[in-house]
Amino acid sequence: MPDMEDYKFLFKVVLVGNAGVGKTCLVRRFTQGLFPPGQGATIGVDFMIKTVEVDGEKVKLQIWDTAGQERFRSITQSYYRSAHALILVYDISCQPTFDCLPDWLREIEEYANNKVLRILVGNKTDREDREIPRHIGEDFAQRHGMYFLETSAKEAENVERLFMEIAVELMEQAKCKELPKYDGSLGPINGKTTSVGDGSCCLRS
Amino acid sequence: MDDDLPTDFQVIVVGTGMVESIVAAACSRIRKNVLHMDSSDHYGGLWASYNFDGLQKFIKEVNSDPKKQVQVYNLSEKWYIEKESPELENKDEENKTDDSKSEQVKKVWSQASFATEYRKFNIDMTPKLLFSRGPLVELLISSNIARYAEFRCVTRVLTWLDDRLMPVPCSRADVFATEAVSIVEKRMLMKMLTSIVGYNEEEMNNEFKDWESKTFKEYLEHKGLTPNLIHYVLYAIAGGTNAMPCLEGVKECKKFLMSLGRYGNTPFLWPMYGSGELPQCFCRLCAVFGGVYCLNRPIDKVATKTIDEGKNMITIDSKSKTLNCEHLVIGINECPKELLSTESVESCDISKAVFITNGSIMKSDKEPLTLLRFPPLAEGDNTVTVLEVGPATGSCPKGLFVVYFITNKVKDAETDLKPYAERIFDMSGGDQTEATEKPKCLWSLFCNLKDTSAPVASVAAGVHVCSGPDAGLDFDRAVLQVHSTPPQRLLYVQSDSSGYSVTLCSAT
Repeated sequence: MPDMEDYKFLFKVVLVGNAGVGKTCLVRRFTQGLFPPGQGATIGVDFMIKTVEVDGEKVKLQIWDTAGQERFRSITQSYYRSAHALILVYDISCQPTFDCLPDWLREIEEYANNKVLRILVGNKTDREDREIPRHIGEDFAQRHGMYFLETSAKEAENVERLFMEIAVELMEQAKCKELPKYDGSLGPINGKTTSVGDGSCCLRS
Repeated sequence: MDDDLPTDFQVIVVGTGMVESIVAAACSRIRKNVLHMDSSDHYGGLWASYNFDGLQKFIKEVNSDPKKQVQVYNLSEKWYIEKESPELENKDEENKTDDSKSEQVKKVWSQASFATEYRKFNIDMTPKLLFSRGPLVELLISSNIARYAEFRCVTRVLTWLDDRLMPVPCSRADVFATEAVSIVEKRMLMKMLTSIVGYNEEEMNNEFKDWESKTFKEYLEHKGLTPNLIHYVLYAIAGGTNAMPCLEGVKECKKFLMSLGRYGNTPFLWPMYGSGELPQCFCRLCAVFGGVYCLNRPIDKVATKTIDEGKNMITIDSKSKTLNCEHLVIGINECPKELLSTESVESCDISKAVFITNGSIMKSDKEPLTLLRFPPLAEGDNTVTVLEVGPATGSCPKGLFVVYFITNKVKDAETDLKPYAERIFDMSGGDQTEATEKPKCLWSLFCNLKDTSAPVASVAAGVHVCSGPDAGLDFDRAVLQVHSTPPQRLLYVQSDSSGYSVTLCSAT
């Protein structure tokens, strides 16, 4: 099997939120340390991977982007399947992106596992034309049982922290076996896949 | 927000069924500029999966819209359980711990408890399996789309023999483990199966040169197989009837046998959360390579004109916007009638049923995933394909099974399928905790589906019509419509080291 890399945990993290709130920039900043200015719609990016270390153990984060399907509210349900963590992003300088949060939550509740770790992120703290005060975002997150963080992909503020906290929390959950289970006995946790057997399997060439 | 929608594309795909989605992915993959739309608020069209709430909406929609009844008719839903649960049932809260296997007492389900757990259901409109070495699996692997989906192996194949359910030995190990056939029969069966897989083309031609107009059953009899073995091979492995032509039977057997041993004990895979996930996976790939997605976007009018040198220009009116493209790929059920060729095609409508039960049709240590092929029980019937999926596939809450019945229509779905269902379910309603031999049927849905699976040509240049779901066991017909050679092909997709190349064929 080709994918027997050196990591102990593999977690799937998905991002959602309106177009233009900076989802791709957050992912790029974290995985590549880049901030591509004036970036248009996301093309060719499926998911990005970064391996981090938590308590001396290697944790691989597989971070999925919406592939532009959020633009006309047409994200496939299958995008939400088997996610361990879900980052809901809005732009602190754009009220409509905050006003859409309840719609996103409805979709998340409908399709994502109800144990998925949910984080609300107010992005673009570098902007001077803030429209949503921090405490409003915080309140919203608290009311809906979500973690909350404000970030700036541009200034690299809190981006590392966002993903590291997700890694730490998911690992904690994995150790207490509270993680959403997707495979019965064969969790995706150790990244191993079976090719024969009556459990679940991944198709490999 | 819809008004931001760009208006000019090379390819516009209308409808998000399986065939449309495969085409969309292929076009986008070779960097065609693609818009993919659907008039409804979800993916998949007639290939969709619904949670229980979504399914209720679908039923209402069909029953209140005569236009929808052109595709789906005789739709009837029935409950076999009470509206509300009895009060005392709340004790159940105690064993809420997730891996409690201690559920000694069977849960009493009510319509209300279905509604509470509606999210845990994924009920397919077009349930289908994948052959482990079939064209869809190869396509999923070569396109990397496999990463968007998870699969489970079908754990057993059953048949109906001597008025009861019997496991069909399909692998070598199975053949030797089964007690249902004698040692002499085992050797006979192994020899037969091995030779069918082993024949090369020349040997095939030699062996079957006199069998072209004869039935597969005659061939099996000629080979000296006992009635039991003929039953296994003809009905369960080849999925045929007494009338199945010999060469078709051989082909079906070969397909079954070739797919053994790749992923599990049977040749089949089932997509987690249902078949409705698969079109979405193709859509995701299309989007990743720049395809624009827009649900809730009905089309009002399609006009075509030819500008010089065979270049087409197609305009589509949709929500007060005019969209332009060179190629329109459109699901047959969304396509304006005047664009379809009036040439009649052979068709046979589909009878379908879905049951939700409180146990598997045949007990098993681990949660089973079952394919059952019923031979025709009455003269004039067709074979009935039954798929039973459980909670581990993401199809339903713990304690339940979803069972699909599919056959070619003779009278109507209920008349065609109820006699088969009654053989394996207790459909009397009544006490769910009662220990019965057959699982209790808690809910049922019957419907007929218009057969739109035959390729239909369009009369307009640049318009390509995609077929709807067929009654077959697998997705092969859908895949081959895109990935095959003329004349069936809609467009031609090739993948090589440099990626994909796609040629949209004019549909003539």
